[in-house]
Amino acid sequence: MSRLIRGELTRLASTRLPLWTVLLAVASGGTMTALLGFIDPDQSNPPMPGLDTAEGVGVVLGINAMLLFVPALIGTIAVTSEYRHRTIGTTFLAAPHRGAVLSAKLLVYGLLGVVYGVLTSGAAGLAVSGAAAARGILLGTGPAELAMLLAGLAVAAAVYMVIGVAIGALAGNQLIAVGIVLGYFYFLEPLLMIVPGVNAVHPFLPGGATSALMGSTFLADALASELSGLAAPTISAGLGAGLLLAYAVVAAVAAVAVPLRRDLR
Amino acid sequence: MSAVDIEVAGLAKRFGQVEAVHDVTFTAKAGQVTGFIGANGAGKSTTLRMLVGLTAPDRGSAEFGGTPYRDLVDPSGTVGAVLDIAGAHPSMTAVGHLRTYAALGGHAPARVDEVITLTGLEPYAHRRIRGFSTGMRQRLALATALLGDPDVLVLDEPSNGLDPAGIMWLRLFIRRFADAGGTVLISSHVLAELEQVVDGVVLIERGRVLWSGSRAQLAEQGGLEAMYFQLATIGELA
Repeated sequence: MSRLIRGELTRLASTRLPLWTVLLAVASGGTMTALLGFIDPDQSNPPMPGLDTAEGVGVVLGINAMLLFVPALIGTIAVTSEYRHRTIGTTFLAAPHRGAVLSAKLLVYGLLGVVYGVLTSGAAGLAVSGAAAARGILLGTGPAELAMLLAGLAVAAAVYMVIGVAIGALAGNQLIAVGIVLGYFYFLEPLLMIVPGVNAVHPFLPGGATSALMGSTFLADALASELSGLAAPTISAGLGAGLLLAYAVVAAVAAVAVPLRRDLR
Repeated sequence: MSAVDIEVAGLAKRFGQVEAVHDVTFTAKAGQVTGFIGANGAGKSTTLRMLVGLTAPDRGSAEFGGTPYRDLVDPSGTVGAVLDIAGAHPSMTAVGHLRTYAALGGHAPARVDEVITLTGLEPYAHRRIRGFSTGMRQRLALATALLGDPDVLVLDEPSNGLDPAGIMWLRLFIRRFADAGGTVLISSHVLAELEQVVDGVVLIERGRVLWSGSRAQLAEQGGLEAMYFQLATIGELA
């Protein structure tokens, strides 16, 4: 197993993926947070709570939950590139026990996901504090509370990268896998969030669990009450974290089990 | 090099309605080059993929010195395989690719430089694979297969894309490999290409073994080409 992990780390170090991961983590965490942090809340529609409230900080940091498709896609593209560039056969020749190969990949990309998460929440934390300082506002959350929100974001990013790897391993085909990830984020989950009745399940989906973990359910609440007049159901941050980890475990188990018998042609 | 025979017994594989391989049985002996010859779509690649566990057979077995590929203690240190599906990540360099597979297979990092020298990849070692010609990719695939210093070589149409000098070099290489006690199973649809180098021949057509035997027996039948067309004609009529 340690040789497979070393192999996957060598593979990772031989591509430009680590560089892209760092750049994307800092850019996505920093820019969007800063952008939102500088918007005057009174000018927005629906009106947003300001940065001087805990809710306002949650909303600004919550934009990062919508950018979690980035680590998911990094994981998906990394694992499906083995199929796209037809290296998976060579990989299974070097290591015929496919479950172990997939486990090593999940571990290595889980680790890369943690790196991504730490960088992106670091950038987001700096951006939101910077925006508040520049506008002369005292942040609505204390340092401990802010650190919790950012830790939640880091965990979510790592989980999403693992889920991305799993979707890639299950789909095999790169285009289909990318389609599944984007389709889910931009179409299915937002749809489930606003459909009355069905939105009861939303908090239990990865996106909803992430919002709960990051304390940024404000947007979901606002959308739900605007569209259906009903408050969206919410869950606690702890349950959100537990659900996210459960999703990662289920995805990982499926990713290790399913491709075992697949014929390579 | 230890003597590891390849024993294939009753291999069969069906893809939907297509019976790709039907009851294929043959042996490739250590110290010999065995040619696996058939037209495109005859079932060569499917058989070779079943040999190394990339495709699961419906029936039958394939063993290296009595052990299936999956159960070998040191799979890529026993068998070096170049299959038609061998690819490489375009943004990696040849060295990066080889380091990755040396690590995955548990082979010494020093082997990377050795196989680069062995396959003549030195001028391209630090270039990105994106810019490689088919021949260079083929050399890289062979270099990857040699990382574990294997006893057996399984090569699926390895001369595709090689220039005449490359083909000459490959012939010499596999001859030396077998003379040193190694086992070589090499497939081709180009008959003339293998006739000078093989010790034994397995002819496959539409997923079935038509004929197998030694080079001497083949010569008695008037050579590979005569034999092939004779059998293929019988196959058409049957």
